[in-house]
Amino acid sequence: MHRRTNEDRIFDFFNILILSLIAIVTTYPFYYMVVISFNNGLDSTLGGIYFWPRDFTFNNYSEFLSDPKWMQSFFVSIARTLVGAFITIWFTCLAAYGLAYKNLKFQKLYYSFFIVGMYTAGGLIPYYVVLRGLGLLNTFWVYVIPGAINIFFLIVAVSFFKEIPAEMEESARIDGASDLKIYYKLILPLSKPLLAAMGLFVGVGQWNSWLDSAYFVNNDGLRTLTYRMMEIINQGMSPLDAESAERAAAVTGVTTFSIQITAMVIAVLPILCVYPFLQKYFVKGIMLGSVKG
Amino acid sequence: MWSSIKRQKYAHMFVLTGMLIVFIFQYLPMFGILMAFKQYSITTGIKGIFTSQWVGLKYFVEFFNAYNFEQMVKNTIGISLLKLVFTFPVPILLAIMLNEVKSRFFKRFVQTVSYFPHFISWIVVSGLLVIFFSTNSGIVNDALLSLGIIEEPIALLSDPDYFWGLAVGSAMWKEAGWWTIIFLAAISGLDPSLYEAAEIDGAGRLKRIWHITLPGIRGTIVVVLILAVGSLLGGGLVGSNFEQSYLLGNVMNNEKSEILQTYAFKMGLAQGRYAFATAIDLLQSLIAIILVFGSNYISKKTTKSGLF
Repeated sequence: MHRRTNEDRIFDFFNILILSLIAIVTTYPFYYMVVISFNNGLDSTLGGIYFWPRDFTFNNYSEFLSDPKWMQSFFVSIARTLVGAFITIWFTCLAAYGLAYKNLKFQKLYYSFFIVGMYTAGGLIPYYVVLRGLGLLNTFWVYVIPGAINIFFLIVAVSFFKEIPAEMEESARIDGASDLKIYYKLILPLSKPLLAAMGLFVGVGQWNSWLDSAYFVNNDGLRTLTYRMMEIINQGMSPLDAESAERAAAVTGVTTFSIQITAMVIAVLPILCVYPFLQKYFVKGIMLGSVKG
Repeated sequence: MWSSIKRQKYAHMFVLTGMLIVFIFQYLPMFGILMAFKQYSITTGIKGIFTSQWVGLKYFVEFFNAYNFEQMVKNTIGISLLKLVFTFPVPILLAIMLNEVKSRFFKRFVQTVSYFPHFISWIVVSGLLVIFFSTNSGIVNDALLSLGIIEEPIALLSDPDYFWGLAVGSAMWKEAGWWTIIFLAAISGLDPSLYEAAEIDGAGRLKRIWHITLPGIRGTIVVVLILAVGSLLGGGLVGSNFEQSYLLGNVMNNEKSEILQTYAFKMGLAQGRYAFATAIDLLQSLIAIILVFGSNYISKKTTKSGLF
């Protein structure tokens, strides 16, 4: 079609080179983290490991799995991910179904209430006072209730529901189906892709959160996995030092830091697993970022 | 009218339930802003926001007179501006570079990989930073030492002079790939015949990028820029000013890492000075609002496109 000029060759060379470097800089840290998690913790403190575990062991993982504190926070994270995603989908879709209802009275008024709500924020302290007033502090519910309505997904869901052909609803109504029945038997089954997208994004957000655990909870049994990791990071910025190595059991070779890295691998793993499915919804996802801006 | 509402009773019930939730968690905290001007005590609960004594601008004055006020403002604005300057152009460049890749497989691979850190918690990213840059056998210092490039380990995580760079660099690493999506989408919407015509006219790659791609996505650039300026104090596009200062800030680098948000957090939730912290938050929101409207105004004047 066209001749490749010298400019093309030079451009392509540098373009591919730089992009390859970016890909390496992005992936290597995750790879290295996995390598260290399979290496003897005491041995890791000596440094010099780059591409492959030097003293291969599963001890970090078995130590993680047998530590009640880590396991507790692991289950709290799983629970908040599942319950949080469910609650958000439940309330957001119900409200969206109502808003998408044909000829609904006050529809415009209702809708603008939500839109304005997206831009209002009172700041951390007033929010804290409200949660305190509701008795949500130091309960599991503080993780999952405040996000029950996700306004961005509400807007997406309203437009999704509106695209469902009206005839399907009409004919169900003629067959004597009530609003509730139509919602559960017709609308929801037709909206599986929407529910999946919501579940994935809300779930990842829940799995990663730690701020609410730091702000609103001081009960050790309710800490999330990410919060537990934060505690270790804050304990010292140089956890590989001799002191923490000393504290480690010489037999297992597991240090506070090697468990921390193992926890990091465990925190990233579920995201890596759902990542291929998440990718389908990226363009919508970026809009989420921009409206929240 | 009542009969139609009655007929739609479930729809109204569902919407009103949703509105109640939004009212409690989005609208109600707005009233809490009053606390910034009041002698508020936490034991009085939500009601206390309205019933407590007015104190005027007392907390604002106290905040302006805090011993590290100047340094915190400097840090907040410094980190935010650096992030805007250095991280805003990167997604645009990355999108253009990706768009020029011929191999679809390679393009997809780099894209997929570069979005990934966006979905990872800052906790994990901070953990990675520690593994890589710790002075005790962190892999970067370790490698540089053994290669003889440096004699002393670089204290990236504790030396205050490195904190701003660390914040900007790590935020870029985490979020730059994510923001390329929006620019790539804009580029893929451009008319391919423009490129063909330019090529026939003898325009090279760089010329085509400069004269077709960049002007073509100008509208998107402006909109994203306004968003970035609007959230400037939170860290702009890449955000995370609070997370970084909270997680990577420590006793050693405190003078360069303490920002308004971490200070408000420490004063408010850690020390229980609720009204004082609310005043700091409010001041920050005011600056943010001014920035949004200001940048929108300037953008409308100069490029004739804006958000609203």
